[in-house]
Amino acid sequence: MSIANASLLPFEPAPRRQGPHLEALPTRRRRPRLAYALVAIAGAALIALAQLGMTILTAQSSYDLAAVEQQQRQLTLDKQELTEDLAGLASPQYLAANASALGMVIDSTPSYLRLSDSAILGSGAAAGDTSTVNVQNGNAAANALIAQTPLVTDDELTIADVTPQQEAPATVTEAPPLEGGLPTPQTH
Amino acid sequence: MTKAETRSARRRSGIAAVVVLAILAVFAVRLFDIQVVNADSLRADAEKHGNFTASAVLPGIRGSIIDSEGTVLAASSVAYDAALDPALVDEVDRIDDAGNKYVESWGRLAERIGAIIDMSGAEVEEVASDALEANPDSRYAVLKKGLSTEQYRALVDLDAPMLALSSEKTRTYPNGAVGGNLVGFLDASETPQEGYEQLENACLESTDGRLSYQRSGDGGVKIPGTTKEDPAPHDGGTLQLTIDSDLSWYLLQMLKEEVETQKAQAGSIMVVDVKTGEIKSAVDYPTLDPNDPAASDPEDRGAPVLRRLFEPGSTFKAVTIATLLDAGAVTPLTAVEASSNETFPNGAQVGDSFAHPTYRYTVAGALIDSSNVALSKLGELVPDQTRYEYLKKFGVGEGSAIGYSYEPEGVIHPADTWDNQTHYATSFGQGIAVTMQQVVGAYQAIANGGVKKPLHLVEGCTSADGKVTAPTLPADEQIISEETSEQMLDLLENVAVQGTNADAIEIPGYRIGIKTGTAQVANGQGGYKSGVYFTSMIGVAPIEDPQYIVMVSLDQPRRVTSSAANAPAFQKAMTHVLQYYRVPPSTEPFEPLPKFAE
Repeated sequence: MSIANASLLPFEPAPRRQGPHLEALPTRRRRPRLAYALVAIAGAALIALAQLGMTILTAQSSYDLAAVEQQQRQLTLDKQELTEDLAGLASPQYLAANASALGMVIDSTPSYLRLSDSAILGSGAAAGDTSTVNVQNGNAAANALIAQTPLVTDDELTIADVTPQQEAPATVTEAPPLEGGLPTPQTH
Repeated sequence: MTKAETRSARRRSGIAAVVVLAILAVFAVRLFDIQVVNADSLRADAEKHGNFTASAVLPGIRGSIIDSEGTVLAASSVAYDAALDPALVDEVDRIDDAGNKYVESWGRLAERIGAIIDMSGAEVEEVASDALEANPDSRYAVLKKGLSTEQYRALVDLDAPMLALSSEKTRTYPNGAVGGNLVGFLDASETPQEGYEQLENACLESTDGRLSYQRSGDGGVKIPGTTKEDPAPHDGGTLQLTIDSDLSWYLLQMLKEEVETQKAQAGSIMVVDVKTGEIKSAVDYPTLDPNDPAASDPEDRGAPVLRRLFEPGSTFKAVTIATLLDAGAVTPLTAVEASSNETFPNGAQVGDSFAHPTYRYTVAGALIDSSNVALSKLGELVPDQTRYEYLKKFGVGEGSAIGYSYEPEGVIHPADTWDNQTHYATSFGQGIAVTMQQVVGAYQAIANGGVKKPLHLVEGCTSADGKVTAPTLPADEQIISEETSEQMLDLLENVAVQGTNADAIEIPGYRIGIKTGTAQVANGQGGYKSGVYFTSMIGVAPIEDPQYIVMVSLDQPRRVTSSAANAPAFQKAMTHVLQYYRVPPSTEPFEPLPKFAE
């Protein structure tokens, strides 16, 4: 169908407006619904109660929090106290002094066993009983934290003093009194 | 109601409304004034007088210093101070367990306080009475500082109203003198004084914060929603060093015994990992315990191992030979004739440390016998400028990557200013001044295939939020060829096996290379002390795959005055290092080089 053949639709005029159509409704007063009011009031009350509850709970938990914080302070002090007790006990000089008090030595001639061919590498000699360092002759690594702490292996000693104390003899022989100064040999 | 009455009533109610509105307006203005205009000052006023706000210091914690294995070398802790309020010194009303009231006398309480803090009751009373005597209005008299937590808790339990207890930060060094020379210490006011405490303070430092809050009337419970951290506390970072505590302990203990045996004034040992440039240990004896720095001499409170400047002497003959080999001027078997004392054409006179006939040394032999004369002649095979440039490349006069406080740069003068004597002296380690780390650094390059790694002591800083910052180090540098490095290791092993200290330094199972050095000691009056030296020995092991360099120095040993004094200490140190790091023993045989040329 070509456009020429298209039949033109007849123009229909818009229906004429006839002005607003107003009609008086019968006046019917609705009765306010009680349910709505109750829901609103109950809601408000609920919110108020919830808020009160929340406040009470928050206040209560802040007291709980304060109690727990106090407990944490005590535990921190416990930890601090224990840490102070342990300070320096893991130090190498304390370990060495303890080992030395037991008679342990550091060997100077290490030997190694090679598993592949059972060869002994290194000195091959048996370890001696002399230590390459001798803590008993004086500790080089002072440590004020454990200066007074007794050794685990010998509770009468400390790191500064690994050598067992020699007891002083009960009686000391007195030197004979000298008369007229030191004797002088007669020489010619 | 008449019309007039109605009008009058209306007027009256109008006036009333105006009055009411006016009053309301006044209230509104006042309300606005209180709530908005003056709100801040009123709130501040309330907080000031109401006593319902409180604040507390939130202490930041200074970071720890740890060693390469994570062992804590320095940590923060808390100590307590006890003071008396002399105005409150009086008897105290108490209620015993049965609910009976009784009075505790001040004398009795003073006894109990004294028993806790190791003072007598009389001494405690004296502190209070002295304070009152000096100032009748005194409210504060220090009783004792630095109390332990145990003492603090016992004092709190006394419930003594006159006691004022406060806490203060302190620093503890669990390993004491082990690593103490490097770690350093703080003073009483927590200001860093020495070592890495001072040098890396930026990493370790903490800042305190402040917590403010409103509290309830009954015992100071924090009111929810009112706590405010401003500013927030900031903890310091953890500083990790490259040193190893256990190794350092052994070296320190051994060094003390050797310093005493050799009747030396002091000694130092440095151990370096060849492949990484990490300093595994740097010990000094005498040294300090950072827990109690005041117990040691002021001059022993630093790290002379890193700060001492000395003429290296013969240890730098190796650098001269490396220069000559690298420049292609000699091979290990090049011949050089030397008698024990020679005067050169320019007038300079050079002597060896022992008398000998004219020898026809090889380069290896010259190094084994440490002949100054032979080295002087060999040094002339390259221009002074070449030797100068190599010395600079090896690190002389350049400080070091460690960047320690008061670390000397080292001394080397430009080649064109060398006089006749210096022209020769620089080839056998004199006329220059170095630090221990420069000598060790030079040997590190020789042992590491010619690649110089920057020596360093700091592994890194881990900040409180876990961010790791590694130190910025200069790039690696190939300063001599790999072939020169191999030849040098061969020569150093020949020194170890054929030298005079061979028996004293032998480590069964391991092939090692060494060189000794002796330097004169300034007498403080422009000359040198006679008969005493600053002696050193440096070695590398194992030769076929160098892993560790150990250097031992002794300041003026008197039992044996030469560098042979270092042999026992070096042997023990190197043995322990190889054992400690589980270095496998050598398997390839040693092939000696001829000491003398045909």
